[in-house]
Amino acid sequence: MFSYVLRRIGVGLGLVLLVLTLIFLALHLVPGDPAMLLLSQGDGASATPEAVARVRTQLGLDQPLLTQYWHFLSGALTGDLGESFRNRQPVSEAIGERLPRTLELVGLATLVAVVVGVPWGALAARAGGWFDSVTSVLTSIGIALPVFVFGSILILVFSLKLGALPAGGFAEWGEDPNRHAQILVLPAIALAVGFASTIARMTRSAVLEMLHQDWVRTARSMGLSRRAVFRRYVLRNSLNPVVTTVGIGVGTLLGSTVLVERVFNYPGLSSLLVEAVTARDYPVVQGIVITIAVLFVSINIIVDVLYGVLDPRVRR
Amino acid sequence: MRTTHPLRTRSAARPRLAAVTAVAVAAMTLTACSSGDGGSSASEESLRFGLSAEPVALTTGVWQGSATNFMLTLIHRGLMTLDDQGDLVPGLAESYEMTDDTTYVFTLHEGLTFSDGSPLTAENVKSSLEYYANPDSGSTLIGGLGDISDITVDSDTQVTITLEAPNNAFLEYLAVPTAAIVPEASLNAETPNEVGAGPFMIEDAQAGVGMTLTKFDGFYDADDVALEEIDLSYYADGDARANALVSGDVDMIDYVTWENFDRVGSTDGITLDATPGPFQYVQFNTTEGPFADPLVREAVAYAINRDNALTAAFQSNGEPLEGVVMPDDEALEGVGDELWSYDPDRAEELLAEAGYPDGFEATLLATSQYTFLQDTALSVQQDLQAVGIDITLDAPDWSGRLEKGAAGDYDLAVSGDVGIVTNPSYLLGFVTPPDNFNRSFGYENEEIAAALTEGLRATDDDSRRAAYEEAFDLFATDVPFASIDTRDQAWAYSDDVEGFTNLTGFHTFFSGYTLVNTSLNR
Repeated sequence: MFSYVLRRIGVGLGLVLLVLTLIFLALHLVPGDPAMLLLSQGDGASATPEAVARVRTQLGLDQPLLTQYWHFLSGALTGDLGESFRNRQPVSEAIGERLPRTLELVGLATLVAVVVGVPWGALAARAGGWFDSVTSVLTSIGIALPVFVFGSILILVFSLKLGALPAGGFAEWGEDPNRHAQILVLPAIALAVGFASTIARMTRSAVLEMLHQDWVRTARSMGLSRRAVFRRYVLRNSLNPVVTTVGIGVGTLLGSTVLVERVFNYPGLSSLLVEAVTARDYPVVQGIVITIAVLFVSINIIVDVLYGVLDPRVRR
Repeated sequence: MRTTHPLRTRSAARPRLAAVTAVAVAAMTLTACSSGDGGSSASEESLRFGLSAEPVALTTGVWQGSATNFMLTLIHRGLMTLDDQGDLVPGLAESYEMTDDTTYVFTLHEGLTFSDGSPLTAENVKSSLEYYANPDSGSTLIGGLGDISDITVDSDTQVTITLEAPNNAFLEYLAVPTAAIVPEASLNAETPNEVGAGPFMIEDAQAGVGMTLTKFDGFYDADDVALEEIDLSYYADGDARANALVSGDVDMIDYVTWENFDRVGSTDGITLDATPGPFQYVQFNTTEGPFADPLVREAVAYAINRDNALTAAFQSNGEPLEGVVMPDDEALEGVGDELWSYDPDRAEELLAEAGYPDGFEATLLATSQYTFLQDTALSVQQDLQAVGIDITLDAPDWSGRLEKGAAGDYDLAVSGDVGIVTNPSYLLGFVTPPDNFNRSFGYENEEIAAALTEGLRATDDDSRRAAYEEAFDLFATDVPFASIDTRDQAWAYSDDVEGFTNLTGFHTFFSGYTLVNTSLNR
């Protein structure tokens, strides 16, 4: 088991290094001058060439690409991700502020999705009939409905019409826990709907497949109650693909909360990434991509290890 | 066919149903804890403001866009400022006197201090203005302050500024937010330009979330400032910003997007305050190809259906622009406002005269990042196709647009801009080098520049009018750019907000100045 985990971590580290290099190259190959952008924010007078050149020097963009890459790489390895071009905030500090917010949102959405999706899928598989049919329809809608459309509907109903919850924004837990929680409700639901639908469908099909196994009939014939067989054997054996779905889903959510963060004006990591790409804020983009890559790889390692725990054959 | 479910039971559903019910009840309880209006708590004097962008790190003297200028209007002041009618009035200067056409004597308010407690004296005025007059500072105020030949400190509260030549835009340049008087320590590119002598000061800032400003009691007019606090929250998305106002999360927002005008404007208890602001235009690459020929540029100016462009990009919230934007000045009434009209036949004649009776192919640079510029480009594309110019659209993101614009990598481009000042001298940048992303690449016209400069130097209304009439006669046929429209620029606020004014024209982005007159009536 130990060597299995080590092997997975080794592959993961290699992947992160590859992502790190690719993102650096991609950013510098894309047209756009951060210095010019900094001095030309929308309407207004254009900066003088001297001013642009001075900002380029300040940001270190006048150095050869290889030198910049070396600074970036050595910085990243020592934990120094540089400073934002835009507000001069250290990137690690910005990520330190934003990542927990996105993780909280993703964590809450995942919790809702799992708590709703797994029982829902299992119930649909067991109940069949109209409940199963309705589940199929609802989960199809849940998966197909774009998150920004659903988010906008939630805002329209709960914020603009009912005035029950904030339309977006952010409040620190330490300063106003009630508002902090209120703000999280709608984005978490918006994010959870598609995910819960996927989990429900995956659980349903996995449970259905298990229910038809010979060993289920054998267990029943040995006198175990339906409930006991379902809980002890069917559900547990059905969870492998569900765990994979949740693992991949969480990883994807980390990078794709951007639409929800945008719609609800939630200052998470994803919205920072989009803003930084738009502004060609290289250090921030690089820092966030590294962070997401490390998280994604870590989640995959955890899922692989969980696989090993759930099914020892995988370790071989 | 019905599927067989070997282990179907009804009782198994109950515990799960209970769990789901518990979650729903928890959510409803949380909702019930809400304040009812969905808004955050705020004191009576605290204005909750939804700002369209997070201001970048403030760099002294540098024009960094509308969100940053808004910040500057709150925490800084120059010698001059704008009142709630948009009129030029003394700011840090209690009064000023013009002893002749080139000499200004400014007398500062007594006992001025910066928000860090240090005294603000005439020495700070001298050092700040000298810094802004130096092109190396990256300042965009050279057009006004470049004429300064001498600054003499007469006393702690009096300073005499002498210009090389008369400049009737000088006082207006002193009211630009980037012309603020700042401490010596801020006069460099590295120190964040956060210490000022404006009505508010930065209390707390949270990157990506917002900023809290509190009233600065050392401000020269502090007794008349009603707001104790401004709580800024950043809402980059136009819909999210409008939602925040409509739902009561904030009291006021800037930059209402045009698709939200109707929704916000028709909401009870909310005022949509719109005024014509920036102008849109077509710029040319004049270094080579058809657009090096003034006849072709003029043809483009006649080919544009301005009403269509306005509808496509701004849902008709704006005005067609058939000339150039001029200041609201009786002496210049009618000057420069009708240079071209929509006349496709005339456009075709001009193209034929230029040797292109069958048209030609060209690339039109826009950007995918700002929908209004892309929509404007689509409308212009249609108009030019109609007169035989086969247009290919190039719409990179804003960063790519800037780079291509600055490098002249286009034939035509659509752009939007404002003058730093309303004085027609803002047009000098369009007819004199250096090149930049939003002027016609390689374009230069010394005659127009000379006439505009003559207008700037004029000391009486008649000679000023004559100079600008000459400038725009040349403008009409040489076409440094082809105007399209002016767009409405809107702020919106709840009825609790009183005293704010959206200043007209280019000054709309300086409307933050009027927050000194603003109060809350909750």
